[in-house]
Amino acid sequence: MTTSTAAAAATPRAEPAVPRGGIGTAALVAILVQLGLVGLVLRQFQIESAAFRRLFLLVFCGFALHALLPVRYRLPFFLLLSLAGVGLVLGPENAAWLVIIGIALIGICHLPIAYLLRVSLLVVAGGVLAAQRANWIASPWSEAIWPILGSMFMFRLIVYMYDLRHETEPVSPWRSLSYFFMLPNVCFPLFPVVDYKAFRRNYFDQDAFETYQTGVDWIARGILHLLFYRLVYYHFTLAPSEVHNVGDLLQYLVSNFLLYLRVSGLFHLVVGMLYLFGFRLPETHHLYLLASSFTDFWRRINIYWKDFMLKIFYYPAYFQLKRLGATTALILATLFVFTMTWFLHAYQWFWLRGTGLLVSQDVLFWTILGVLVVVNALHESRHGRDRTLGKRSSSWRSRLALSARTLGTFVVICILWSFWTAQSVSEWLSLWTGLGVGFSMKAVVAAIVLLGVMVIPLIAGPTMATVKKPADRRKLWRSLVATALLLLVMAGMGMDPVYSKLGATIETTMQSLRSGHLSRLDNANLERGYYENLLHVDRFNSQLWEVYMKRPTKLLDVETGPLKQYTGGFEQYELKPSFVYSNHGTSITINRWGMRDKDYERVPPPGAYRMAMLGPSSVMGWGVSDGETFEALLEDRLNREASSGNRRSYEILNFGVPGYEPPQELFNFEKALGFAPNAVIYVATGRESYRAARYVADAAREGRPIPYDFLRQAAEKAGVVRGMDEAAAEKRLAPYQKEILSGIYARIASESRQRGIVPVYVFLPQVREGLWQEETPEALQAAEGAGFVVIDLSAVYQGRPLASVRVSEYDDHPNRLGHQLVAERLYQSFKAKADAIFRDASNADRAAK
Amino acid sequence: MSDVEYSVKQFILKEFLPGEDPSELTSSTPLITGGILDSLATMKLVMFLEDSYGVKFEAHEVDPDHLDTVADIARLVAAKKG
Repeated sequence: MTTSTAAAAATPRAEPAVPRGGIGTAALVAILVQLGLVGLVLRQFQIESAAFRRLFLLVFCGFALHALLPVRYRLPFFLLLSLAGVGLVLGPENAAWLVIIGIALIGICHLPIAYLLRVSLLVVAGGVLAAQRANWIASPWSEAIWPILGSMFMFRLIVYMYDLRHETEPVSPWRSLSYFFMLPNVCFPLFPVVDYKAFRRNYFDQDAFETYQTGVDWIARGILHLLFYRLVYYHFTLAPSEVHNVGDLLQYLVSNFLLYLRVSGLFHLVVGMLYLFGFRLPETHHLYLLASSFTDFWRRINIYWKDFMLKIFYYPAYFQLKRLGATTALILATLFVFTMTWFLHAYQWFWLRGTGLLVSQDVLFWTILGVLVVVNALHESRHGRDRTLGKRSSSWRSRLALSARTLGTFVVICILWSFWTAQSVSEWLSLWTGLGVGFSMKAVVAAIVLLGVMVIPLIAGPTMATVKKPADRRKLWRSLVATALLLLVMAGMGMDPVYSKLGATIETTMQSLRSGHLSRLDNANLERGYYENLLHVDRFNSQLWEVYMKRPTKLLDVETGPLKQYTGGFEQYELKPSFVYSNHGTSITINRWGMRDKDYERVPPPGAYRMAMLGPSSVMGWGVSDGETFEALLEDRLNREASSGNRRSYEILNFGVPGYEPPQELFNFEKALGFAPNAVIYVATGRESYRAARYVADAAREGRPIPYDFLRQAAEKAGVVRGMDEAAAEKRLAPYQKEILSGIYARIASESRQRGIVPVYVFLPQVREGLWQEETPEALQAAEGAGFVVIDLSAVYQGRPLASVRVSEYDDHPNRLGHQLVAERLYQSFKAKADAIFRDASNADRAAK
Repeated sequence: MSDVEYSVKQFILKEFLPGEDPSELTSSTPLITGGILDSLATMKLVMFLEDSYGVKFEAHEVDPDHLDTVADIARLVAAKKG
């Protein structure tokens, strides 16, 4: 008998002929009540996308019906529900394409030809799709389906084909289709690599009530992870340039690693939902903060990934290599696994984002982790590791040793993680230089996390709980009550009348937790990222990453491509004169002077009141068509409605340039002077001093000449020199941020006044949540101090959902409505401050000056 | 309990669960899904079975379908021995 047939004969635990799946009325109602609470919490805290919350409604209704159906109809029903979910989220056309491509791929797996031929055909099909993903070949479907198609098929096809090769049971089309299109996947491009055998093996293999309750427990746990993630993401993360002392470093390292809570939270949510349909899958993460060695860490974090790598790469490699001896096989197979892990992350990135990923930190991170795991594995293979079948007593000495190992592992992993997620090796190295002594309250919180990592093993003993005994009914109901209470507390805490009574700090914190938005750091990266290489986007655990993933690549081509031209000066680039772009009804026309505006003469017509508007992309009008910018709308309105004495016309020249930072506006201002304006309108959009200092830091460390004495002197005083690392340069210039911004404002205002030009300062809020407004009071104060006429539009979007005034989910610029609101408010402000704004020397006088 | 089951159980207790109460390890205790057999331990067990019973395993058999309990292991070994 061959080994394969032996295995077939020995297939130990075939699925039960009639899977269990019954549930009593009281238990079903209890599950439904908890799911209702889950829905409430998802809504209160705006967990994930609106599409996900709609999908959850489908899950809720689908579960109620599914649980009552005879078991034999449940799998087909689950498949229909999954396909309905795809349609609900992607729309009928995209959903149809996704399903057609998916069925074609699954069809290839089952062609009645040799296995190797089927694999070859899949590789060819994958190659064609990859060419389409990379935009080498045009696709008839929307780009929106790629991340979902990728997450459904990029790994599962590998697992599926592997299992088909050794499959001994007849294939069920319902099960196969359900495996690929499984319900929650359509909302989660980052989806756990579910094993096909596990998906098949554990389907309704135990008491349905227990399975459903575990699902609800895990969903609740997932939401808790996501809320903790938000707390860390919004309130504890620091940029490398903000790490000034030992406390900051501790806060940086711990918070950076804890961002992984997002992945563990999402995976709990996903697998919890699958439990509701009878798929009793393994845990996705198991107390990964309490790993006591690197092998232990590898076993506890992203368990599905570890299992996938073992099945597809480790065991086959080990069996091939075992003739070289167990130790050699172990070392080589483990290193092979880590090499493939690195490669598959790049492969995943390609399918989700459509671009390649080759970053030195990735290679180094996986190499270092691989070596650490090999060393640990060798140690374990010789000395064993602590395991237990239940609760076993352990001495204080062994608990102390466990505690020390756990703390050590946590610290090393935090450091490694910081290395992996740093934008460059030099940025990471800058974290460790010039550290002073200091410990903020947030650093104390990070220290408490460390303390917890140390103390829990002391109390709990061996933390890798092993065999779980089947829960008895009493325990099940206890777990139900605990989860329901947790959900109730979360729902209550998310209610305005509750948290507003708990003090200002809690109120502010809860408000921040109640919506999913980018942190101030990611917002800064996003603003900056418009003009940078996508590879600099924080990888794999960041919301910013998802924003980039959703953004059409063609849009980026326009942003970074022909719209601007490099000048070689301090300002680096400007809009390309006479550039015209048109797509899907949106037109961008740049006039001969490099303004996104009508064609004006250099000298204003007699009697015209000319204003030059300076600012970034929101002024230029990124995301709206020609004539729809607030600048154009305001100009039209002034000309249409103003009745201010003897003026014949008003002109507003749009000097907005996407990505311009405050120092670049100095150049823009000088350019504007050549058009003899009566007023200069400086539009600020948040984080002015940080962005100003960062631009100066970049110019100094890149060796670009700085033509403004006060900026050059600030860089010199701070000790920023050519070739210095980005984070180190920013750190050094941080104390000079206010000085730099005040200098810029003072220069624009005073030079305007000298020329008889009225300097006007407009603060325009960003169309996003977050802490971007934290520097606003200082900026407004600096503008006032410099002598600007100040107009604060902070409340211009108030009372409207942000989604209604921004271009799209992946583009935080004001849309047409946003521009209309700004134009209206600006018009009113101009009228209110008409005496201060509309006074001037004659055009001839100004031109002479 | 068959001979194979007995010897597998003794091997697991000695190698991976020293000091554990033997009665805790039954023929149906989940080993892979329960966390007792990780990749290192599984390969050690496979080597032991290959050496002790003169059978050959294949990589795809190293999974919970075939090796999750002492009873599963004994069944697979018996099938391989023919």
